[in-house]
Amino acid sequence: MSPFDPTAHALSVNRRTFLTQSAYGLGGIAYALLRSKLSAASAASATPPAGWNGALREAHLPVRAKRIIFLCMAGGPSQLETFDWKPKLKALDGQPFPASFTAGQQLAQLQNMVLKARGPIASFSKRGQAGIEVSDLFPHIGSVADNLCVVRSMQTEQINHDTAHAFMNTGSIIKGRPSIGSWLLYGLGAETQDLPGFIVLTSQGKTGQQPISARQWSSGVLPSRFQGIQFQARGDAVHYVGNPEGVCQSTQRQVIDEVRRMNGLLAAGTHDPEIATRIAQYELAFKMQTSVPDLTDFKNEPQSMLDLYGVKEPGDGSYASNCLLARRLAERGVRMIQLYHRAWDHHDNLEGGMKSGAQDVDQATAALITDLKQRGMLDDTLILWGGEFGRTPMGQGTGRDHHILGFSVFMAGGGVKAGTVYGATDELGYRAVENPVNVHDLHATMLALMGVDHRRLSTKFQGLDVRLTGIAGEVVKGLMA
Amino acid sequence: MMALFRSTFFIFGCLVLFGAAARMTAAPEKISFNRDIRPIMSDTCFHCHGFDAKTREAGMRLDLRAEALKLTKTEALPIVPGKPDDSEIISRIFDDSDPMPPIDAHKPLTAEQKELFRRWVAEGAVYEPHWAYAPLLQPSVPMQKRGDVNPIDAFVRARLAEKKIKPSPEAEKFRLFRRAALDLTGLPPTPEEMAMFLYDHSPDAYEKQVERLLASPRHGERMAVWWLDIARFTDTVGFHGDQNQRIFPYRDYVIRAFNTNKRFDQFTIEQLAGDLLPNPTIEQRVATGYNRLNMMTREGGAQPKEYLAKYGAERVRSVAAAWFGSTFGCAECHDHKFDPIKTRDFYELQSFFADVKQYGVYGDYDYSRNPDLKGFNNDFPFPPEIEVESPYLVARHARAQDEITAHVNAMRQHAQTPAAAARMATWLDDMRSYLGRVPSGWEPLRANKAELRKGDKVITERPVTVETDGTVCGGQPLANREFYRITFQPDGGRITALRLDVMLEPPADPMEWKWPPSNVMLIPSVQCAEGEVRKLDVVYADATVKAPRFVNGAELHGVTAGWRLPEPTKRDTITGVWLLSKPVTLAAGESLVVIISGETLPKFRMSTSRLGARDPLDVASAATLAALTAPQRSPSQQALLADTWLMSTADDTAAFARYHKLVAKLNDTCRGKAWSMITEAMEPIAVRVLPRGNWQDESGPVVLPATPSFLPSRQESTPEKRLTRLDLARWIVSPENPITARAVTNRLWALYFGTALSAAVDDLGSQGELPSHPELLDWLASEFRRSGWDMRHLIRLIVTSATYRQSSSLRPELRDIDPSNRLLASQNPRRLEAEFVRDNALSISGLLDLRDIGGPSAKPYQPSDYYVALQFPERDYLASDADAQWRRGVYSHWQRAFLHPMLANFDAPSRDECAAARNVSNTPQQALTLLNDPSFVEAARAFAGRILAADAHDDTARLDLAFHLALSRPPQRTERESLTKFLVAQREIYRADYPSAEKLLRIGLAPVVGGDLVEAAAWTQLARVLLNTQEVITRY
Repeated sequence: MSPFDPTAHALSVNRRTFLTQSAYGLGGIAYALLRSKLSAASAASATPPAGWNGALREAHLPVRAKRIIFLCMAGGPSQLETFDWKPKLKALDGQPFPASFTAGQQLAQLQNMVLKARGPIASFSKRGQAGIEVSDLFPHIGSVADNLCVVRSMQTEQINHDTAHAFMNTGSIIKGRPSIGSWLLYGLGAETQDLPGFIVLTSQGKTGQQPISARQWSSGVLPSRFQGIQFQARGDAVHYVGNPEGVCQSTQRQVIDEVRRMNGLLAAGTHDPEIATRIAQYELAFKMQTSVPDLTDFKNEPQSMLDLYGVKEPGDGSYASNCLLARRLAERGVRMIQLYHRAWDHHDNLEGGMKSGAQDVDQATAALITDLKQRGMLDDTLILWGGEFGRTPMGQGTGRDHHILGFSVFMAGGGVKAGTVYGATDELGYRAVENPVNVHDLHATMLALMGVDHRRLSTKFQGLDVRLTGIAGEVVKGLMA
Repeated sequence: MMALFRSTFFIFGCLVLFGAAARMTAAPEKISFNRDIRPIMSDTCFHCHGFDAKTREAGMRLDLRAEALKLTKTEALPIVPGKPDDSEIISRIFDDSDPMPPIDAHKPLTAEQKELFRRWVAEGAVYEPHWAYAPLLQPSVPMQKRGDVNPIDAFVRARLAEKKIKPSPEAEKFRLFRRAALDLTGLPPTPEEMAMFLYDHSPDAYEKQVERLLASPRHGERMAVWWLDIARFTDTVGFHGDQNQRIFPYRDYVIRAFNTNKRFDQFTIEQLAGDLLPNPTIEQRVATGYNRLNMMTREGGAQPKEYLAKYGAERVRSVAAAWFGSTFGCAECHDHKFDPIKTRDFYELQSFFADVKQYGVYGDYDYSRNPDLKGFNNDFPFPPEIEVESPYLVARHARAQDEITAHVNAMRQHAQTPAAAARMATWLDDMRSYLGRVPSGWEPLRANKAELRKGDKVITERPVTVETDGTVCGGQPLANREFYRITFQPDGGRITALRLDVMLEPPADPMEWKWPPSNVMLIPSVQCAEGEVRKLDVVYADATVKAPRFVNGAELHGVTAGWRLPEPTKRDTITGVWLLSKPVTLAAGESLVVIISGETLPKFRMSTSRLGARDPLDVASAATLAALTAPQRSPSQQALLADTWLMSTADDTAAFARYHKLVAKLNDTCRGKAWSMITEAMEPIAVRVLPRGNWQDESGPVVLPATPSFLPSRQESTPEKRLTRLDLARWIVSPENPITARAVTNRLWALYFGTALSAAVDDLGSQGELPSHPELLDWLASEFRRSGWDMRHLIRLIVTSATYRQSSSLRPELRDIDPSNRLLASQNPRRLEAEFVRDNALSISGLLDLRDIGGPSAKPYQPSDYYVALQFPERDYLASDADAQWRRGVYSHWQRAFLHPMLANFDAPSRDECAAARNVSNTPQQALTLLNDPSFVEAARAFAGRILAADAHDDTARLDLAFHLALSRPPQRTERESLTKFLVAQREIYRADYPSAEKLLRIGLAPVVGGDLVEAAAWTQLARVLLNTQEVITRY
């Protein structure tokens, strides 16, 4: 098969070798990049490139998707009120939950409690030509059902929010593992240098909120340039992207020009390749100062577009506004866009919470799919909608507890089999019994859709090949078109 | 285009990385197993033919020579020394049809690597023990031509001489001094210090400066940054709600340890097991905070046992990384593939810490009761902790105390002025007649209306009764949002203080007592006859007995914001007193309305007083009453009288307000005390080998503490004697353990050269890197141990070496021979670590606050709403005021879930776990930070202010000064020309746009400089340019 690939090897050498060990630049790679660009331009004064084009020279697999939008329903929405219709559970409502299902399993707050079945609080309808059963709480998502690939057999290993998010994002709960967006950026680079290649947006609902940590979009042991950049709802969208008070764009430009001159003079007398990189980073920074405000300015979005998404106030930090922003980011070549909507932890008041959460996300999620489709971008944009885990078919007061043995997510676009349902849980929705998909499998599949063999995207850390999927993960062919 | 471009780039990449390697190995040297063979074997063979019996294929084991020479199950001879052609491994690696490693491993060998194997077998297949685990002996220093040299230079030069490379000349004097200052203290030299050094022509001028820098308290702060990464020191617990934890005295301990050059063996023992030493000192107990710095959770739904397993596993990873430079992580689930670390080693090491008292989940939830944490909510701390004296707080306490004394003295003086004395005399007459009527000074109140309400609604079904003595009987506990509204018509009308007496009654069944009780809140107001209500402000309140209240880990003072009642163990009356911000006199027809909430208040009584006091609990105290009524007053009584007068009347409103402001400041110093998490030993919990790391699988054997099996002189517990953390710590620093001295020395080296001798500081195992200078590392490591673990001795050796003192300008002619400058033919430029990037800017600007060493974490400016996704509790980030805004970065608040963006952008780790090395990145985010973060803009304007205020009166002189402050050198002609032009342009811009100048000069808390704003703005812009240059943030 493939002969020894020195490039891949060079890139998989110890990250410190790659980063700091070469004194003559950001590792031999960056130096080579610089040299090649310089010789191409054949001008010694050419600004060295500071961008990153990805560690993988070429795709391992056919590229079905170029970017991912992960709509993370933080808190863990109930599969039983979204995509997994369980009439038998409804019939059993209020009755003791059969112990044959639950014996010996780890629960969260229901540990050591009497377990009773709780019937779904929502009705379901068959939607689209495919007739996918979707909860009536999500009429808009139902209306795009033929674009969806619903997975009803998800399983995860972590039952508490913090660690479950870590597992969903990094495939591990050990600190320092890179997030999936960081892996993509590291492996593939981004199609833009004017914006960060991995962007995170957050919004929150009225109930069921749980905290989320910046660790979830950390690049871990990968260099920090690959970390997710969180856009802020208020103030500068990106930290420090706005000029100081009293400094306008043109004066700022003068400062940057003068910094470049000073750094240039330094470079003339000192051999330190970091100077050239620094000069280039200031250029990128200035570009970002221009492109971020342009990006977050929705002026040129017509009212019909705002209405499609249900945006009340552009840039108000709502999920709807973030969905529209996600589309704008996708258009600009950002590799990974992750939205967190913190609203789904319904230990109590499941009914109110689900209705309110659905109200927050239903229309905008469907609008994003519709909008990307009409722009011809759905084909190469992979959308993933889902939480860090699901919820118990057993009731917890007026709510449901965390659940990891069976829950639902859906994917759309970028090479997935549209209009299908994959896998199934048992009759009470307790455990995935048909085609279970664990988080590593999901990751392997997502990478495969992006053209990456999950076994071949790795970095050395502490002597090990660290990978998103660890030593596990199977590509789920049944999810791919 | 892109594809073409990228392939060019990659071809270049290989040339650069491998060209050099090829050249070096092409020399006709004998193959070294450790240098040439082990790294390849480790990467490509050991996974299937290594230590782990479970994954071993074909029964072939290659990590041990004796095994590799044996016939395998399939009757193959893996290695026949001297006979490559008869060796199975050689025929397989050259077998293109069925190669080893197999194709699907994606780890094919290069032709060069194959050739290396063949030669190694031909030369006899000599194995060497892995360098890091081999016994540590001090190698002899290579002979040098010119007599007495630093041994470091002897080793480095010997290596260079082999390659026929000359070392670089010594760096220019100013550059060398700036380097040493930044490396040893994290701060640049002041122009005065620089001048002193430049004019000192004695032969040991440099050495003298090194001694001065090492002796500076700034040295300990600099070193602490290094160790705090390793110790994973943070201000927050990390998991889920990422609440604050109380631990800063541990940081003080670390700083002090470096400042007093505490020997590293002692430093190790104190942190791991200080509590187990005989009669441990407070300092030794504070040091054990190390064992508590793992991430913790309080998440509802988390299982304590699961999280204890997570904490235990993290501790193994962190201890192994810190003291062994080893990667134990994978052994949690399986025997290490590449190193002889077994799963059992992992759990045996964990077992040493099985006695560390800690809770898996820091709450008392319905699903998992925890009586130790009864009443804990999200604001509570994370015990066990001890309260210790904090020198920082003691100093601030004394300072605040002095301020109060001075203020009170001034007030007393003022009371003696004739006009004031006359007013006081009138008041005194008044009070005397008041006390005639109300001898205790407290007028009991009898409510004329008492209601139980929820919002506007009166709950008539549960009437509130008032007894004749004024006691209000509410009966049942209050439900959510219910409160009492009580109306009084006090006799005479004047009110300075309110008092609430609560009658505690133990519940019949103690189990019925519910924690946490809600806080008793008291809101006083005045209602006029027409019904309109105006609120009365409370300046401070306190109670005789109270349960502690916290806000995100910080204890609140007094009960102003709520009075948390203690658990009623006996029948008792306890008292709270509220001081009004301004005494109030009720007009005719007005009444006092008090709203009281708090679910556990069955019976209470209220009274008011016309007397005030400095402390709420001293209102109408016996001493006060005596001072008021005495016919003759002693000087102290006279003083008390004056105090009481001001506090009762707020005669001087400003002085009264200032007094209370000073009291609040004093309270914040907590009597000079602070809490710190520590290790408290308890009965060890059982530690089992967890199959595949699964905490619910209890099928694995219980293991007892033992030192790692792959290191010499193994210590094991016996059923009779269980080894302790103290045994572990002592073994770590024993002469038998070779790895700790190597790991620490190696890591230390990176501080002074950018790269460690073995570059992968977190993996000295077989997947790591053979040191660039193995003998030098061993020499230094054994010197470290020989000197009695004297860290400063090592540092001194390093920074006074000629190797360290070389110029850092890289040498293009060596780019291909030594692309990573591992031979050290020059110094390496090193970008400052995050904390020092900011310290440096603050120092240059003159803002840096060096008044104190140690103390609580400070909060630099941070973008607002950065913590919006954090909950339990929700929180705001309040930047420190001028008293702590400009402290050094080592004191920055470290929030694991959302590290300060400036720190994160400059590669500071979140310290979730041991971080042995930092990345050094160069990103647009760094540019944005230096350009626009208010800390740096403020530093620029302060820097400008400093230049303009100095004794330098034209642009030339000012530019000189600016360069000396920022870069320790004068500007070059080209720099001067360019910057002068820039300055002129900026002046024009701000002259035309005065409002912008004003805005720019208002950024930050630092006082706004007076004078010509246009000039100040122009120089601020110039200062921004300088602070953004690569030279400022790099130590060359």
